Amino acid sequence: MKRNTFLPFYLFTFLLFLASCTETVSDAKQENGQPQIYPDYVGVTIPVNIAPLNFCMADEVALLVDAVIADSRGNSLHSQGGAVDFDLDDWHALLGQNPGDSLTVTVSAKFDDGWHTYSPFSIYVSPDSIDYGLCYRLIEPGYEVWSKMGIYERDLSTFDERPLIENTQFEGCVNCHSFNRGNPADMSLHIRGPHGATLLRKDYGPVTAYNTKTSQTLGLCVYPYWHPSGRYIAYSTNATSQLFHSAHRNRIEVFDTASDLQVYDVEKNELLLSPLLKQDSIYETFPVFSADGRSLYFCAARPPLSFGEGTGVGLLDSIRYNLCRIDFDPQTGTFGDQIEIIVDAAAQRKSVSFPRPSYDGRFLCYTLSDYGQFSIWHHEADLYLLDLQTGESRPMTEVNSADTESFHNWSTNSRWLVFSSRRDDGLFTRPYFCHIDADGVVTKAFMLPQRNPRRFYRDRFFSFNVPEFIIAPTHFDGHQASRVINDESRKDFGVRP
Amino acid sequence: MTKKLVLMKKLHIIFTLLFGVAVLLFFGLAYPHHLHYQEQYQLFLFDSSYVWDIVRLPGGVADLLGRFCTQFFLFAWVGAAIIALLLMAVQVLTLRLSLFTLHSSLFTLYGLSFVPSFLLWLFLLDEHALLGGVWAVLLTLLALWLFVNLPKGWTRRIVIIVAIPILYYMVGPNWTGSHYYRYPTVTPYLLYAAWLTAIILPLFLSVKRKVKSEKNLARQTSAVPLGLKQERRQQIFHFSFFTFTFIVMMTLVWKNANFKAEKVMQYDFMACHQQWNRILETVNAEKPNNQIGVTVQNLALAMHGQLVNHLFDYNQNGIAGLLPDVQSDATSPMPTAEAFYQLGMVYVAQRTVFEAQEAILDFQKSGRCYKRLAQTNLIIGSYEVARKYLMALQKTLFYRDWANETLPLLGNEEAIAKHPEYGRLRQMAYGEDFYFSDHVTPEMLESLCFSNPDNHLAYQYLMAYYILTGDRESYAKLLLQMQKQ
Repeated sequence: MKRNTFLPFYLFTFLLFLASCTETVSDAKQENGQPQIYPDYVGVTIPVNIAPLNFCMADEVALLVDAVIADSRGNSLHSQGGAVDFDLDDWHALLGQNPGDSLTVTVSAKFDDGWHTYSPFSIYVSPDSIDYGLCYRLIEPGYEVWSKMGIYERDLSTFDERPLIENTQFEGCVNCHSFNRGNPADMSLHIRGPHGATLLRKDYGPVTAYNTKTSQTLGLCVYPYWHPSGRYIAYSTNATSQLFHSAHRNRIEVFDTASDLQVYDVEKNELLLSPLLKQDSIYETFPVFSADGRSLYFCAARPPLSFGEGTGVGLLDSIRYNLCRIDFDPQTGTFGDQIEIIVDAAAQRKSVSFPRPSYDGRFLCYTLSDYGQFSIWHHEADLYLLDLQTGESRPMTEVNSADTESFHNWSTNSRWLVFSSRRDDGLFTRPYFCHIDADGVVTKAFMLPQRNPRRFYRDRFFSFNVPEFIIAPTHFDGHQASRVINDESRKDFGVRP
Repeated sequence: MTKKLVLMKKLHIIFTLLFGVAVLLFFGLAYPHHLHYQEQYQLFLFDSSYVWDIVRLPGGVADLLGRFCTQFFLFAWVGAAIIALLLMAVQVLTLRLSLFTLHSSLFTLYGLSFVPSFLLWLFLLDEHALLGGVWAVLLTLLALWLFVNLPKGWTRRIVIIVAIPILYYMVGPNWTGSHYYRYPTVTPYLLYAAWLTAIILPLFLSVKRKVKSEKNLARQTSAVPLGLKQERRQQIFHFSFFTFTFIVMMTLVWKNANFKAEKVMQYDFMACHQQWNRILETVNAEKPNNQIGVTVQNLALAMHGQLVNHLFDYNQNGIAGLLPDVQSDATSPMPTAEAFYQLGMVYVAQRTVFEAQEAILDFQKSGRCYKRLAQTNLIIGSYEVARKYLMALQKTLFYRDWANETLPLLGNEEAIAKHPEYGRLRQMAYGEDFYFSDHVTPEMLESLCFSNPDNHLAYQYLMAYYILTGDRESYAKLLLQMQKQ
């Protein structure tokens, strides 16, 4: 019998054909409401250069989802499947043709009883672009012990993610990555554990490992923030402890038993200290420079009466941080002689954390929780927007949810805010983005797009920690960095006399 | 084939089978809890992302095969059979490769073909040794066997050129990418020794054969078949050499086996599977004197309502024998976490289990921990987090059914309240929030006990705590208080 050598080819072509087939949405029942999709992209504003907003039906019993996304000129994209998966190039072409315009999305979903078509919804394409990417730490939301973790960068216009460094390359943990206004040329990164160090990089140069602990400071440098000039980095030093809730959804309290602030002069390798920023009677933390670099914002609280084992809830929840400011002269590296309270949160029985001024100097975004400074574990934590021109603060109700909103950062054009939220499942933080215009109008937030969002976010047991915008790929050499980390030599921070 | 060769072949099969049975019996009878231990520190998922994350690394195929087989270690006899088969395969391949170049006069060295398998057996005695290492040796031998069976010429050369990088990718440069030992910084010398022996042995025999051939060249033309006596003598020597190798290796295996660890693992296993009767039978037969054993013993006593009355019938370890401080390792916190869970300290149990899983040295996940994290999240009402763990468990072979049964409970308050375990633990849990740190305080037990008078386990633990610390006043107060209630 003659064997048909082309049979496998025919079979393959047939299977390919089957795979590329889409069902026609027919006899669809028209639904009055808009579709419930995951992630919720209904009515969001997106940057012109964002990756495709793929989605699926929130109701997992849906067999298929069909989406047509169209502009006012008759251009459209179509996708159908278990999850909508738009072609990357077609998506960017469509968005590129519609900056400042809305796209209409028509969604149909197939259930056991047939197709259902929902009322269309809009997605507004903002002409304000978003930065190249996002840098974050991926870590399981745990307590004291950590498993695999690392710092990763993600191209926001695609789905590409790349590790900068992972803790498989050394023994310890990595945290607090920081860039100068999103420019990865200047970078600070902490390593904790037996090979502890602070890694610094200037102008894409090689990384240097520093010992940041000095005899005149409380301990190792912690929360970093770059001065706009790139010459200084503000750091806090924190004596941090943890306690665990026996029966509370917040699970953990992370708190300081002492903390101070200092500014590091990168050029002179010396810490600049101020007695006003290292008061025993005040906990100072989360320092950030203003957009013009002439002010240092930070959070400050009065300590509770005493700490100890068996600390009652009442004691920890008396620690409430205000938002404060002190002058800083970048020419001389000197501080002002008085501290100004910008937001008196303690008076409202609230607490400020993670202040982040926009780079245009217009706003300052911060997190407000009931008490303490580690709002990541506080389900009541919400984002607030401070208008630096009027001094008025308001809750960002457009983006806040019933769950935690905590760490956040501005894009370099100050039009986009990325923030981490636990709204998805109450534990794992995911990055969300919202647009804030020059008048402070905030749009509905959207979750970081993924090729298959449900699968991605369900399968991944990591929290996105400290999302930071980056304007270009970091070109961080993780192997060189791990060699530096594993080498015992460290350069000591000096202190300005 | 000569009569002698047929006889030898039959003997070889019998010896291989004997070896396999020895391995099976050893792991099935003497070392079953080491297999359970291995299983509980990995989570094999039937998921393309999971598989890809493993196989994309050099050595990933061996690693994946090892993990795939390890999931069956949940059933110790199945695990023992898998190990026996793998070690038998290594021996047979070593023999085959040796025979290929083996002259009949070298049959006396037959016993050496067991050396790589015995070394692997020794390697597997260590609870941190991973089965991927055995697969790496086996795959290497399979590749070698394939090479030598290929016809000589260009085909063989081309296959070798193509196969070497593939083999490299399958079994890896194991000192970088893949992991055959749970401690990433520890070099598994026994595994390397087995690997090298398996490769070098056939080469060594090949060289030996060549030397013998040259010596015997002159005599070959007038070779006279061996006499019956000579043949029998050779068989006896052959058998003796095998017996000698076998006895030496078995002695080494027995001497190097960690039966103390096996006992501790047994206690942990029984606590994990809530085999309270079996625990009491075991402690009655031999009173434990290690921390995990004492913790499990006290939990079993409490589950039977006998902790207070029979506390001093058994070895105690002070208050550390009740609820020891949680250490940052993957093993020791697990029995304590079981006690926390049964006491109704659900958040404490959750934290303990989570930390234990995070402490797994090679960053793997654990089916046991995922299951418990799903349960604790279900009890505290974090349904979406519980769903996440359950949906991961749905991708496993042996936890799938349990996950499928548990998923409908999420959000179903009525069903949870009626559930014999979750409903009870919800009732027993803390009513009032407070902070806790790394060690259990009497206040934690008092809070549990006083807010839930029906929590008999908490009552027993608190009484035992007072007894072990000699706090007579609190003991008497509690007794009085409970009598009033």
